Amino acid sequence: MMNRQRVRALIRKDWRELSRNKQATVPLLVLPLVFVIIIPTAIILLGNNPALLATVNGLQAFIDNLPVGITPDGYSTRQLIIYAVIVYFMAPFFLLIPVMVASIMASSSFVGEKERRTIEGLLYTPLTDRELVLGKVLVSVVPAVLLTWGSFLIYTLLVNVLGGPILGGMFFPTWTWAVIIIVLVPLVSFLATCLIVAVSGRSTSMQDAQGSAMLIVLPVIALVVGQATGLLLFDVSVALIVAAALLVVDVVVFVCVVGRFQRERIVTRL
Amino acid sequence: MTSPTDALVASGLTKRFAEREAVSNLSFRVPTGRAFGLLGPNGSGKTTTVRMLTGLLRPTGGTVTLFGQRLDTASADALRGRIGVQTDTNLYESLSVRDNLQIWGELYGLAPAVVRQKAGEVLEVLGLSERVDSLVGQLSKGMRQKLSVGRAVLHEPDLLFLDEPTAGLDPEASADLIDYLKEMIRTLNTTLIICTHQLHGLESLCDELGIIRQGRLVITGEVQSLLRRRWPEKRYRLSAAGDPAAVRAAITAVIGAEAEVVVTGDHCEFAVPEDEAISRVIARLVRDGLGVRAVVPQYPTIQDLYFATLNDGSPS
Repeated sequence: MMNRQRVRALIRKDWRELSRNKQATVPLLVLPLVFVIIIPTAIILLGNNPALLATVNGLQAFIDNLPVGITPDGYSTRQLIIYAVIVYFMAPFFLLIPVMVASIMASSSFVGEKERRTIEGLLYTPLTDRELVLGKVLVSVVPAVLLTWGSFLIYTLLVNVLGGPILGGMFFPTWTWAVIIIVLVPLVSFLATCLIVAVSGRSTSMQDAQGSAMLIVLPVIALVVGQATGLLLFDVSVALIVAAALLVVDVVVFVCVVGRFQRERIVTRL
Repeated sequence: MTSPTDALVASGLTKRFAEREAVSNLSFRVPTGRAFGLLGPNGSGKTTTVRMLTGLLRPTGGTVTLFGQRLDTASADALRGRIGVQTDTNLYESLSVRDNLQIWGELYGLAPAVVRQKAGEVLEVLGLSERVDSLVGQLSKGMRQKLSVGRAVLHEPDLLFLDEPTAGLDPEASADLIDYLKEMIRTLNTTLIICTHQLHGLESLCDELGIIRQGRLVITGEVQSLLRRRWPEKRYRLSAAGDPAAVRAAITAVIGAEAEVVVTGDHCEFAVPEDEAISRVIARLVRDGLGVRAVVPQYPTIQDLYFATLNDGSPS
């Protein structure tokens, strides 16, 4: 039986602590700023400028390998580049934002408690393993998702305001994008955070936890994120099927993480 | 055998880490509403014991029964709701005193309004009311210590574990805290397990105690009965006018020549085999013209028992 009050109290505690730690929160805002404002603005304003194509790693190869027929007919080269980049190239970044934000927060939240020796106090409370893991996962997932959704709104406004006149009106988002942002972003964030909590159970410092996250979790997540562009090439129903599959994976991973959670392992490694 | 009046029963509790046995075959019981002192030097196994008693560590052998219910994976979370634990575990330094208590109360299922009321009461008793909005990181060590006790008692637990609760407190604050705990035990029938090295004055709080050394419980039982068992004779400190050798001779004439009489300055200390012997000692001194200035009974303390037990190492 899940006690929501306890989970809420745990989440509120972590958020209050986090809100007072500017060193941890400010860097979290930099990443979305780059992805959401700087890259799309540069793409739209500079269009097919060779210098830009050379600067953004992989962009030229991406454009060269776009399948035929996935962009609206009659676009000029400049319009084609803008459309392809805004609609297809940027998708994985919007999945990377929550994953990276959640990863940093999860390692800070969970291992941070071990480092500060506050975790033992929590383990003495009636919080169940499931409530503790869920609370710690949501502490990271919710802000990561909200930050991504906020970033997506800014991105949508920006690309339509700047790109609309060039592409002949509002062109973003597509339905598949909506599914990615509304459904896949929370699911991918949840998966990444569960895996971080699982690996950080063995870590004794935040650096150790982030190192483990980089080595073990991010490659798995990169695999998922890497498929985002491919997903956009299909219609919305394929995205929904993928989301359903990911939901099952999330539930299985969460159950496994809770099952493997051991208070004894934590207190004996403090 | 578990009695319905026992809040805690540890039976054959053993914990082994790899090749090292941290706690070995520990058995004791604490009746409801009693205070139990779990004493022992650093590294003797007290922390491991408390962690097993609260379900954080799974015993390698033996069982724990809390409030008549066996402590295991299935029951641990619910039972922890009736327990309060204060250890050297840190508070949340970047949060205020109020936040630390508010969140803790909610973790124990108290409604926010109830937490506010309880927190106000606890902070008042602990003398922290004026620091309610201070960040914990800004508090002195003693204030943090009081707050950590306040956090543990906030939900009025049935069973309270305290680890060095008076460490870092000045004597007045320490006495106030002990009084507060005694009052809590009296009014709420709380059962207390206290681990401490601050042995002075502990007998006013503890009804029972156990002394643990190298993971083994060397003695356990009711405090006064343990003290009586260890020192069955009553000891007195006597101050008399006259030659110390004459005083000593008068005393040994009553209690026996082989009895030990320790003379220090103008007073001497000795044990009498039975209560009325002290009257005979005083009468003898008066008869010999050795004016008795003072006779003070000497009560052995938990501290005496602790050191005596650790020194001889034999079970009592």
